[in-house]
Order: sequence, then structure tokens, then C-alpha cells
Amino acid sequence: MIVVRQKPIDEITSMVTHHRRVLLVGCNTCAAVALAGGEKEVATLAELLRLSTSRRGSSVDFGECMLQRQCEPEFVEELESEEYDAVLSLGCGAGVALLAESVPKPVYPALDTLFIGAAKGLASWQAECSACGSCVLGRTAGICPVTRCAKGILNGPCGGVSDGTCELGDRPCAWVEIYERLESFGLEQEYGTTLEPKDNSVRIRTPKWDINAEEEPR
Amino acid sequence: MSNARLHMDSSDSDNHVFAPCRARCPVHIDVPGYLSAVADGRFSDALDIVLERNPLPSVCGRICLRPCEEGCRRCLLDEPVAIAHLKRAAADHGVYPLPIVSHSRPETIGVVGGGPAGLSAAYFLSRLGFGVTIYEAKPLLGGMLRYGIPNYRLPDEALDRDIDHILRHGIGAETGVRVGEDISLSELAERHSAVLVTVGLQNSRSLPIPGVEHERVMTALPFLEASSRGERIDLGERVLVVGGGNVAMDVARTALRQGAKHVRVVCLESAEEMPASAEEIQDAHLEGVEICPSWGPKAVVDEAGTCALETVRCASVFDSEKRFAPRFDDSETGRFEADTLILAIGQSADVNNLGLPLTPRGIIELDPLTLRTAVEKVYAAGDVISGPTKVIDAVAAGQRAAAAICRDLARDPRLLNELDEENAVLGRVPETMASKLETRRRIQMERLEYFESRHTFEEVELGYTEYEAAREAQRCLSCTTGARVAREKCASCLTCMRVCPHGVPTVKVGGWVYFDAEACHACGACASQCPAQAISLEGFSDAELTRTVQRTLADAGLDTTVVFACGSTPILPAFPGRDVRTITLTCLLRVSTAHVLQSLHEGASRVVFAGCVEASCRFPHARVLVGNLSAKISRSLEPLGMSDSFVVATGADDEELAHL
Repeated sequence: MIVVRQKPIDEITSMVTHHRRVLLVGCNTCAAVALAGGEKEVATLAELLRLSTSRRGSSVDFGECMLQRQCEPEFVEELESEEYDAVLSLGCGAGVALLAESVPKPVYPALDTLFIGAAKGLASWQAECSACGSCVLGRTAGICPVTRCAKGILNGPCGGVSDGTCELGDRPCAWVEIYERLESFGLEQEYGTTLEPKDNSVRIRTPKWDINAEEEPR
Repeated sequence: MSNARLHMDSSDSDNHVFAPCRARCPVHIDVPGYLSAVADGRFSDALDIVLERNPLPSVCGRICLRPCEEGCRRCLLDEPVAIAHLKRAAADHGVYPLPIVSHSRPETIGVVGGGPAGLSAAYFLSRLGFGVTIYEAKPLLGGMLRYGIPNYRLPDEALDRDIDHILRHGIGAETGVRVGEDISLSELAERHSAVLVTVGLQNSRSLPIPGVEHERVMTALPFLEASSRGERIDLGERVLVVGGGNVAMDVARTALRQGAKHVRVVCLESAEEMPASAEEIQDAHLEGVEICPSWGPKAVVDEAGTCALETVRCASVFDSEKRFAPRFDDSETGRFEADTLILAIGQSADVNNLGLPLTPRGIIELDPLTLRTAVEKVYAAGDVISGPTKVIDAVAAGQRAAAAICRDLARDPRLLNELDEENAVLGRVPETMASKLETRRRIQMERLEYFESRHTFEEVELGYTEYEAAREAQRCLSCTTGARVAREKCASCLTCMRVCPHGVPTVKVGGWVYFDAEACHACGACASQCPAQAISLEGFSDAELTRTVQRTLADAGLDTTVVFACGSTPILPAFPGRDVRTITLTCLLRVSTAHVLQSLHEGASRVVFAGCVEASCRFPHARVLVGNLSAKISRSLEPLGMSDSFVVATGADDEELAHL
């Protein structure tokens, strides 16, 4: 799923503080699951904004509502925002974009969209995919070097590795992990083969994707 | 009541699931609800909850035979929660609400007999909008509660507290009026739209044995009644009580207090079969009453002014079908000398003067479904119909009679439907949960020592202090007050599964989360973490807490501190600020970040999290989450420059707080 995180409150406050009535819109799919855009976070952020704006001496009304998914027009149609001057989205970038397209008033993001990730326990996620458009996970034992390697290199590790740790010091070296997992499958010889450079133009040539379009993607 | 084992997904149906304590209570009091209020120290709230279903909390808190406790799911772990004692605590420490009297209906009802069934019927009829008058033959209301149960078990003040509250519902009482003699039932039927007969069992049974008319032989009820009126009764030194039930125990212990030196109880049943409750027998024994089981009385003989009971050994009381059919062994005889002999072998109804058609067995003719007698407008309920029962059964009978009358007069079957509703019952505590629960023994109530109590009519059981009551109530497993999920809001994020220590939420195909109500003990961890607000607690309302915060701060001054306090923490330190307003909760996890921010926005100068002490914690796994929550709140206030406005005083002692 798409992992999101709330922006610093100062940044959010400064975006909306010049409006009179702002509608906070949550998203009950990825953003809720990421504990940043569900009904609870909408209520909490609304309270925080009320407190924050009243301390700045401005009076802004904050409304609260939820959409099942902000990235689906049919759900977005349900939004009733007539009484508001602006919308503050607690969805991912796609949600903000579709709201902005659908609602004829300013739409602001309350969240930063981080990555496509997997849950690693309570309130914890691991980045696993960067949506590069040409997946290599079949050659790398399911560990994405584009995402998990700080440099995103396709043939690693680089010289910065030490005791299995990346030179940034905040993560294990993806390429050491790839090797160890291949080895556990008895497939370490795969590691000897070089990965071809990725065709990064796939992303550029795929501004949108319609499954029924005649043209194939590549 | 169906006893289906539930793998309960609470959103599945509206059918209410009862905790076994509630299911076994004849009036289905919301036991987990009031225990939870007591646990938080909210005694008046607890009293309100009890009064919804039972107008006699002070009485039943003292003398109820507690069918609820047999069902308590803690029985499997250690001992049942002291449910009745906690009802008494609610009545002792809570404030009875001021009823809103609205006689919205034109009909009036006459209730004949002011015992527990009559009082209960009057209370519920009045709450349903009828005008009610109670006609009582004795000078005061209460029936057997006043004239049958001795003061050392149920003091008059405790009884009057309940009766005063009942009468405050605008119920009239005409005492000293014997229906059938002073006024006829048909006159009452003309005066009222309906008449309910709840006269109970007023006659003590005697024994069909030679010599029973001896002047030193008396029966239980006149003796107990005279004693309860404060009369000194000359019993002599040696008293013999015949009977093995609770009344016999009351008589024996009352005889001690009336000055008898040597009190013996003779009964037909063996020690194991005696119908008196084990505690009553034990108390009588410890006060010095000698119990002589398995003797059948044969004759009373005169013994130079005193008397003696001749007995024969009773081999068995019941036949193989459990019917009463005593067999005697004539080869073994006994002789019990006494200055006074008191028969406590049962009561019977005295209904001959009422003018109602009777069955061949002398019982009022009655349709058991409608509670109508053979005379129009006249109903009957309680022990006069059912024979001797527990007080709480009489309360239930009164409630049912009120419902039946309401259906007939007002064509309103709602209360009756509610009473007839089938409710599923929560099953036993699953092993997965039991193994994670700590053993905690029941808190023993202070009582007079036996050498003191045997000489005085002062109440023997002294009641819980507020602290003891809260601690005891915290032993409740909060059955059926736990998590419910609103499917339409659930985002299937699985956070609930990750925080629940008992494995209550599980995920089924399609991503639906199911909650096993049998394993949930309402810690609230899942609800506190659910990002979609899809989980709520049956016994707690988030919206209600929002309103409580609003009420608490409605007139906040310039230096008002709101303290959210853990109800399980025995002693809270003193907090800074002149105007400190405390909101006590079962666990601090009931508070959300939004509640704290709301408090600050609505005028609180600071918010304090207090309590959450390891030693007294009910939900140890929740303490980590409370820590996370407080850290999150602090982080969110920091950019606003309001770090000082939120004080985490959890686990803190006085010294630490002194320099806040």
C-alpha cells in the first residue's frame, strides 16, 4: 500500500490559515491504514488546527469528513464541500490530485506520500517499491534494489558496505540481503549475472494507463 | 435464553448478548455496566444503572442470594466478583437520583401489599406513567423485608433508603389498611383501573404433631415480627428452632440476640441438604448456634413448664424423583429440651378474606401468562402465587406484573416484550485469555466479630469503603462491555489484531475483522488505536467523553487544570493550579489526542495524565500504549509552543509533581 505521513503542523497551518472555512477530508484506504488519514487522524488534526489557528489569533472553521478512497471519482463525487473555501486532503498525492481536479476550490495536502510499502508490525512500514515501471524482483530474491539500496544500483553492493550495513548507517545493505536470500534458496549463482540497465523511459512513456487502449506500453 | 457459544461478531445482529451474571439475575440488571462505574468510583452512576431494573439496591446489596455470582466468569480463575456487595456500595456511596414524576396516563393502580413484589410493581407502574397507591396492612411498608428479615442483616435505615426513593415517584401509600377487612377488594377495583394483589405469604406453617399447641411453642413470623418491632421476648435460656431454611437461621440468630443462651436448630434434612445458604449456616454456627440435622419431629411434650421435642432419625428426605417423601428410622430417637420452641418450617398464603376465587389447593386462580385473576381488573403476583422465592424473584414478579398491567390498560406491550426478549449468553473464558489473567482474591467485607455480633441487632456486615469497592469492582472481567466493530467503517488495517493481547480480533476472508466477545475484557487498546474509528466499546462512549470534557470546562477560569485520571490508581497526587477538575476513566487509553486538544481549545490551561501505576494496573499491556499516546500528544503540542500545557504524571509520586 501507499505509505503516507502527516506534514509538520506549522506547514499545514500556514497553508490554510488565510481561509475562513476549511474541510478536512480523510481517506479510508491506504492513508487510514498508514494511521495518517483515517477518521481518527482527521479528528485529531482538526482539533490541532483549531488550537493552532486560535493561538495565532485567526478564526478558521474546520469541517471533517471521510471518503472511502480519494483516488476514485465515484467516491469523490460524494464530497459535499460547497460550504467551504478550501479543502485539506488527508490522502496520498493521488488523492490530493483527484480532489483538486474535482473540487473547484483550493485543495491542500496534509500528508507527504513516502513510498509503496509493507507493514512490519504495529505502526511500522518498510519501503518495498518505487513504481519504476520495470520490475526486477524476480532476479533479486524479492528485494528491490531500486528502493532498498540508497543508490538504487542494479549491481551491488558498492564499496560503502561494511558488515552488511549501508554506509548511510540507517539500513542494511540491500545487496547483501539479496545475496543472502539467494544463497538460502541455493540460487547464489544468479548473483553472478549482471542486471541490464533499466529502461527508465518506461515511466516517461506511461503518463497514464488504460487497460483497454490499443497501444501496448512498450 | 439460548446458551449458544458465540464466536461473536458484534456487528452481526442487534440481538443483545448478556454476560452470565446479567443473564442469571431474574431482573437482568446490567451488572458489567454498574461494576464498571463502581470501578471508576462513579457510585451514583452505578446506582442509576441498578435502579433501571431493580428498585431495591440497598436491600438486594445486603440480602440477595446472588444467582449472578454463580455465573461470574471469574469463578474459573479464582472467585466470583462480589456483585451484591458492590450493589450495596452503589447504594451506600451513591446518591439516589431525583425521579421525574410524570403521571402521563389517566389510569390508576391499587397495589395490595407493600412487600418487595408490591414495591417493585408500584415503581415500574409509576415509571410507565400510571398513578399508584399501595395498600399495606402493617404500619410500615416493606413486608417481609421489614418484619421478617432481622435488622442485623437488613437494618431499617437501609430498607427505608430504597422505599423513600420508590415513594418519591409520586406513589401513594395507605398503611394500616387490611384489604378484605378494612376495605374490600371490589371497592378497590372500583376505585382503580386495576388492582394488583401482592400480599405474599403471611402465615407460618405449624406441625401436625401431638403437643404442638404447647404454650412455649411459637412460629417464626410472629417471633421475627415482634423482634423487628423492638420487643423483648422472654425465650428462657434454651431455644430450639425447627427448620433448615434461611428463616430458621434468622430465627436462631435472632433468638441469640434476644438473650437465649443456648440455641439449637433441628431439621429434617442432612447437613448437606439443608436449604439454607451455606453462608447463613456458617454464620449461625460461628455465632454459637448448634445445628442438629436429620431429625424428624414426632411430638412436643410438656416438661414442667418448659417443653421438649421428641424426634426420630430421618433417613432420607427426598425420594429418587427428588420429591419430598421423608423416611424415618424408628430405632433411633432423640429428645430436645427447650424453654421455647420456634417452628420455622415454611410460610403459606392468607388469601381467604380477599374474596378471590381459589384453586382446590387454596391458591388464587390465575392465568400465568396475563397474571389476571378470575375477577376482572384484579391481578396477582409474587410469593402469594409462586410460593416462597428470593427477594430478587419478587422484584422480577412485580416488574412482570407491571408490564402485564401496562399491556392490558395502555395497550403498550413494550416492557413485556423487553422482559420476554431472548438474549444470548456469553460462554466461558477461553483458555487463551484465562492463562493471561492474574489471580486476584475477592476483597473481604469488614464485619463484626462473631462474639460481638451474637449479642446485637447492629448490622453484621459493615460495607465496603469506596476504595475497597472500586478495587473489588476492578476484578470484573467486563464481559460484554468490550469491542464492537462497525464493518462499514473498518479499513481492514489490522491494527486491532496487532495491539490485542488476547487475540480477540481475527481476520476472515474478504478482510473483515471479527471480534471474539468471549475473549475480550474491554481494555480498549484496539479502539484507541483504530484509525478508522470503526471500533467502539460497548461500555464506553467516545462522544460521551467529548461531552464530559465540554461540561467540565463550561465555566473554566484562567487557571483550570483538567486531570484525566486512571480509575485503577488508588491515590492520585495533588496537581498544580487552583482549579483542578478531574475526569476519571477506566484506563487512560479511553482518552484520545483529540480529547486533550479539545480540552486545551475549550479553556483548560493544562491537561494532566495521572495514574497508570504499574502496581494497580488492570491492563498491563495498555501501559505501553498510554506511553505512546502521551508522547504523541507532547510531540503535537511542541510546535505550537504549548509543551507546558500537557503534563504526563503517570506513575509519578508527590515529590516528582512538587516542582511542576
